[in-house]
Amino acid sequence: MSAPLDPAALVRDRHIIVCVGTGGVGKTTLAASFALAGARLGRRTAVLTIDPARRLADALGIAELGNQPTDLPRERLTALGVPPEGRLAALMLDMKRTFDELVARFADSEEARQHILGNRIYQHISDALAGSAEYSAMEKVFELSERRDFDLIVVDTPPSQHALDFLEAPRRLVEFLDSRLVQLLLHPALAAGRFGVRLFQRGSERVLHLIERVSGVSFLEDISEFLLAFEGMSEGFRERAREVQARLVGPDAAFVLAASPAKQATRHALEMLARLSAAEVPLAGVVVNRVHTWPGGGPTPDRVPTADREDEARRALAAAFAHTEGSGFPADEAARAALAVADGYAALVRADAESTAELTGRVAKAGGFVRRVPELSGDVHDLEGLARVAEWVFRTGPENGEDA
Amino acid sequence: MPLIPLLDRRLIVVTGKGGTGKTTVAAALALAAATAGRRVLVAEVGLDEHVPALLAPGANPVGYEGRDLRKHLRAMRIDPYEALAEYLGLQIGLRGLARRVLGNRAFRQLMDASPGWRELITLGKIWHLEQMKEADGKPRFDLIVVDAPATGHGLTFLDVPRVVGSAVRAGPLRRHAGWVEEMIRDPQRTVLLPVALAEELPVRETAELVERLRDQVGVAVDRVVVNAVTAAPFPPGLDDLDARLAALPGDLVLPGTPSPATLAACAAHLRARHELNARWMRVLADTTKLGLVALPRIARGVRGPDELALLADALVAPPREPSA
Ligand SMILES: Nc1ncnc2c1ncn2[C@@H]1O[C@H](COP(=O)(O)OP(=O)(O)OP(=O)(O)O)[C@@H](O)[C@H]1O
Ligand SMILES: Nc1ncnc2c1ncn2[C@@H]1O[C@H](COP(=O)(O)OP(=O)(O)OP(=O)(O)O)[C@@H](O)[C@H]1O
Ligand SMILES: [Mg+2]
Ligand SMILES: [Mg+2]
Repeated sequence: MSAPLDPAALVRDRHIIVCVGTGGVGKTTLAASFALAGARLGRRTAVLTIDPARRLADALGIAELGNQPTDLPRERLTALGVPPEGRLAALMLDMKRTFDELVARFADSEEARQHILGNRIYQHISDALAGSAEYSAMEKVFELSERRDFDLIVVDTPPSQHALDFLEAPRRLVEFLDSRLVQLLLHPALAAGRFGVRLFQRGSERVLHLIERVSGVSFLEDISEFLLAFEGMSEGFRERAREVQARLVGPDAAFVLAASPAKQATRHALEMLARLSAAEVPLAGVVVNRVHTWPGGGPTPDRVPTADREDEARRALAAAFAHTEGSGFPADEAARAALAVADGYAALVRADAESTAELTGRVAKAGGFVRRVPELSGDVHDLEGLARVAEWVFRTGPENGEDA
Repeated sequence: MPLIPLLDRRLIVVTGKGGTGKTTVAAALALAAATAGRRVLVAEVGLDEHVPALLAPGANPVGYEGRDLRKHLRAMRIDPYEALAEYLGLQIGLRGLARRVLGNRAFRQLMDASPGWRELITLGKIWHLEQMKEADGKPRFDLIVVDAPATGHGLTFLDVPRVVGSAVRAGPLRRHAGWVEEMIRDPQRTVLLPVALAEELPVRETAELVERLRDQVGVAVDRVVVNAVTAAPFPPGLDDLDARLAALPGDLVLPGTPSPATLAACAAHLRARHELNARWMRVLADTTKLGLVALPRIARGVRGPDELALLADALVAPPREPSA
């Protein structure tokens, strides 16, 4: 697919869009905005959200965790400019349930299923084994994608320093199942003859026993029980994980990095960018969210007012206030305050531009798009707010925050 | 009961939703403590190291061993695997073997899948640090500040010793978990310091955290830090200055200055953000019934010790009383 990378092309042509980024930068908001834009192009669109703010969830009609997409009512969509063939369905991911459903799918018997679901290790797998928040999300995307009733699936991701937890989850799971250690625990006899292996096995068993001894927890037993129960289904998991992974880095999918202009946050975004490119994940572009922009879009002044005209400007403003507000109004104080506020605001705009320059420069250099969404004056908690965000993401032209 | 000044505790566990400013607050607290002459240790939990870059820009990583970043101020990073190797080493004298096995990838995945030990071992290490003494018998550190994992995990983090205590019947681990639990449940020694932003999601999450802390974990929490609050942009009496600016004639030219409409837009934005923050701070105070410590949003961003110092002063001031 050689369409030029820009957000409009993504929502028009791609099948899966994944929004990644560190905590609180606007992943959920952006995912929903992309989905809205897709629906407006007449595509049947689903957005998979993770822990949305309550009011946004309400606005999307997903007040509860539900593992199936719920369509927004037709009349809401029409009001938002979605044509009749377009759809917008949202769902709030229930991670535990997704994983359980997966187990149900691959377990070869009801007994095996119950065994797994009741295992202590399994119950904690959600926190650790393969970053199962991420795994569940991926699994859900794949499932929706297989059903073929959506043209576009936009995916929100859990906050993560390591965008790749997400992509790597399926692979990690497979790798774990295939690992020598797991195989050894499953089939100790197989490995008995191999010296190096045996040494390693002895070492790890010793440590495991130690942990058991100090902890008094039957760790080994739990693990081998889990692995045995899981073994019957691991082939299914493996196959599935490979497919999920392939689809995510395939030509129909795109990753969008969400970032915020705070100094550390852009540093984290840069780290994430490096990881994405090391893993050869094609990044479509970056949306820097909640940027302070200079009203009207012109160049940001260095000082408000310029130093050489400071007194002049203040007197002119004070005179204007005196005229409109009448006597008794502290016109001079008001003029001072107004100019100071604008000067402070200009500093915010400059700081944001400076802190994001490296990030946007790198993304642009790699051929990705760069969009800036201003910090709006309120939360984005309804469809109108999403539409306003989308307006910025899908605008074109350098005057609207797009980098050349 | 009067509030215990923050810096008079032995252990402050900083937690909060991702990106709210935990690391910034932990670093600022450490700076405040060191400036006040306390010997302080700031410990980051996990794999990332962001504190040294804030307190001493350009510093090399401090790692598990830790390093003094300035007078009275030591920083370290607690990697649970390092702590586990150390613990096993202390218990049975097998640190080398433990290291080797713990370095194995598959073994790590196995360990990753097993519950609780990470939190326990990390807290155990913190307990150990809290117990450390100088030759003269005084504690090695007056104060330990922990930059804990984000909220969801933050609670589990502190709750693990209790869970272990109730699940494990005997053995050294049970004893150790008991010591750790004693430390974190002692309100004279330990306090949890939640960091929130004055916005919907962090406010709700913090309210839930405080509720669960009270019901379940029994760890003291006596104030909430509200970070990056946009200050009131106008002096008292001129609260609607943006509207007055907007009412000026459109053709008014101010020398060397953008139009009044532009000034009005800047002012309106800051006022709206300030009001939004104030609204969510009220919700936070009402739901948690705790005093709030508001930290200003720093326009140029938090780059190093200078900005931390600004925040440090606000942090150690007594919290604003919850609204009646
Ligand atoms: N452009 C914007 N202007 C103002 N507020 C915004 C903007 N974008 C998002 N927000 C607000 O910022 C908050 C965080 O946004 P969001 O929930 O999308 O972030 P997230 O990256 O999904 O967070 P998390 O990592 O916690 O899942 C929300 O309250 C949202 O309303
Ligand atoms: N008072 C403040 N004024 C301006 N910027 C701030 C302020 N406090 C924090 N920041 C910025 O906000 C971002 C997040 O802060 P920080 O890294 O401390 O959060 P965190 O909670 O530790 O995040 P994580 O969950 O990713 O560990 C950083 O870029 C930081 O510089
Ligand atoms: Mg989110
Ligand atoms: Mg942090």
